[in-house]
Amino acid sequence: MSENQDRPPGGEPPAVELVEVTKSFGDFNAVDSLSLDIGENQFFAVIGPSGCGKTTTLRMVGGFEEPTAGTIRLHGEDVTGKKPYQRPVNTVFQSYALFPHLTIFENVAFGLRRQGVESADVARRVGEMLELVQLSQVAKRKPRQLSGGQQQRVALARALVNHPRVLLLDEPLGALDLKLRKEMQIELKRIQQEVGITFVHVTHDQEEAMTMADTIAVMNRGHIERMGEPVEIYDDPRTPFVASFLGASNLMEGDIDGDVVVLAGGDRVRATPGALPNHGRVAIGVRPEKILLQPADEQPLHPNGLKGTVTDTSFIGVSTHYLVRTESAGELAVVVQNLDTRRFAPGTSVLLSWEPGHTFVVGG
Amino acid sequence: MTATADRPARTEAAERAERRRRRVPYLLLAPGLLWLLVFYVIPMFQLGTTSLQEGTLETGYRFTGNVESWTSVFTTYLPQLRNSLLFAFGATAIGLLVAYPLAYAIAFYTGRWKGLFLSLLLVPLLVPFLLRTLAWRVILADQGVIVSTLQTLGILPDATGRLLSTGWAVLAGLIYNYLAFMTLPIYVALDKIEPRLLEAANDLYANPWTAFRKVTLPLSMPGVISGTLLTFIPAAGDYVNVDLLGNRTWTMMGNVIQSKFLVIVDYPAAAAISLTLMAIVVTMVVVYVRRVGTEELLQ
Repeated sequence: MSENQDRPPGGEPPAVELVEVTKSFGDFNAVDSLSLDIGENQFFAVIGPSGCGKTTTLRMVGGFEEPTAGTIRLHGEDVTGKKPYQRPVNTVFQSYALFPHLTIFENVAFGLRRQGVESADVARRVGEMLELVQLSQVAKRKPRQLSGGQQQRVALARALVNHPRVLLLDEPLGALDLKLRKEMQIELKRIQQEVGITFVHVTHDQEEAMTMADTIAVMNRGHIERMGEPVEIYDDPRTPFVASFLGASNLMEGDIDGDVVVLAGGDRVRATPGALPNHGRVAIGVRPEKILLQPADEQPLHPNGLKGTVTDTSFIGVSTHYLVRTESAGELAVVVQNLDTRRFAPGTSVLLSWEPGHTFVVGG
Repeated sequence: MTATADRPARTEAAERAERRRRRVPYLLLAPGLLWLLVFYVIPMFQLGTTSLQEGTLETGYRFTGNVESWTSVFTTYLPQLRNSLLFAFGATAIGLLVAYPLAYAIAFYTGRWKGLFLSLLLVPLLVPFLLRTLAWRVILADQGVIVSTLQTLGILPDATGRLLSTGWAVLAGLIYNYLAFMTLPIYVALDKIEPRLLEAANDLYANPWTAFRKVTLPLSMPGVISGTLLTFIPAAGDYVNVDLLGNRTWTMMGNVIQSKFLVIVDYPAAAAISLTLMAIVVTMVVVYVRRVGTEELLQ
């Protein structure tokens, strides 16, 4: 995956290529001059809050919406203006959209039959696909006789059986309960690796995106704010929006003094060398789980230390979440793994500290 | 140790509640069953016995087990039976061809004007059946716009060609009178179809026409079945349209029954003809529903 201009000359064209694509509904630009390349065999996730344009983007790739301006290419071929049934992509819809009057077998066979595949081949390929999603035993049933998770897998099989060059997934796990969703995330990733085709997955669930995707694009107000590997954009979100949408963040402001940021209360915080601009005001952040909590009378274990008072403690099993009021940076969230029995009650004075490398810059 | 052995005996209050609960469905069904008994089962039985009676209004009717009324249905009234079925089939088939696109347009293309179009469809029903049919006498009149237009176009022969008092007028009247009953169920079925299903069909290489054949049409079948039944059944028993728009050649079974009951006062014959028509219609409906849409109706 890369920005358009980074593509090596003469290389394979990307699986999906959007060039300055805009979609307007009246005065409102749902997608605003968006350019994007998605490489072959990628598991690509588009995330963002509702109304950010992610679903519209996906629907334009699928052919369900026509872009107001711009070009869409699939493997180098311009498909702008082509109807959905003329594009080599298939979609897994949010509500599955299974045909209620057809059996599971016929639902999966639908695309093959439309393409005129011989019926012996249809039977074989549908059989194989139902096996892949472990639903061979329900082939003769109707969709309404299946559970939500099973229907989801039928929707996936119905799309994949056509060997699309790109599979589009529109919040496919949104209707499932948490446990099933976790299982399906792993299942989807397994299937993607097994069939080896490009998946473009739209979701508002950042955890789901990070679990499955090779590359994540974070969308906000019709454009991409940040794109990269999950670890890369989690550790260096670059904008306040990405910092708080992708995971939780403690954001604070201060003045740059050399390679140190001086916070409001006078506390000095270090960042990764070279990460800070030369001078001026800057907004920085640190993830809650990167902060170490100690009693106030101990020596800080990490170079960046702030003093504070615990205002809220909530034990959630795998970890304990604290809110700590500091003079320099307001209220900070801290997540502590429950490795020892030491816990801080509200009102306790504590010391917060973290590695300079965990301080990220989100803008001036 | 079994579970039942340990279960404490049910209290008397629980027993009473249980008994009361079991009575509820019967109590709820009772008024309906009573209604059916008084106004359906008993009259049907009476109709059956009447058809086997003999006599005249003056001498009175007596049950003799005479089956002559029944044989007369098939010896004397076959043309009328044929007319009834012909008109019922014609009105249903042409009505479907008119109503389906109409329902489709209202369901998918009228947007926020949907309510207006639906009420336009229903407003004519506020006018009594008889008046609506009389209005068609004016529409199809010999001096009317339609007749003169058809004459100008050469579809109807000049001067002698007419529509009123022909079978076509009867057919037009029947189609018109039952159009709303055909359109509404189809509209309801179409309106329920999720747009996502059509997108899914498009996504799976179905062009719009194939998507219609493979998704929209099958999913609208419950509406088509209801609509055709709501047209076919009353049309088969109709007599008003022939009376007002047709002529003697097109007399239907309904007309025969009406005159036997009210004009000639031959109750046994009227009863036998009624029962025959009923039996034929029921048989046709059963065959039709079983062949076309058992599953849709069972859902």
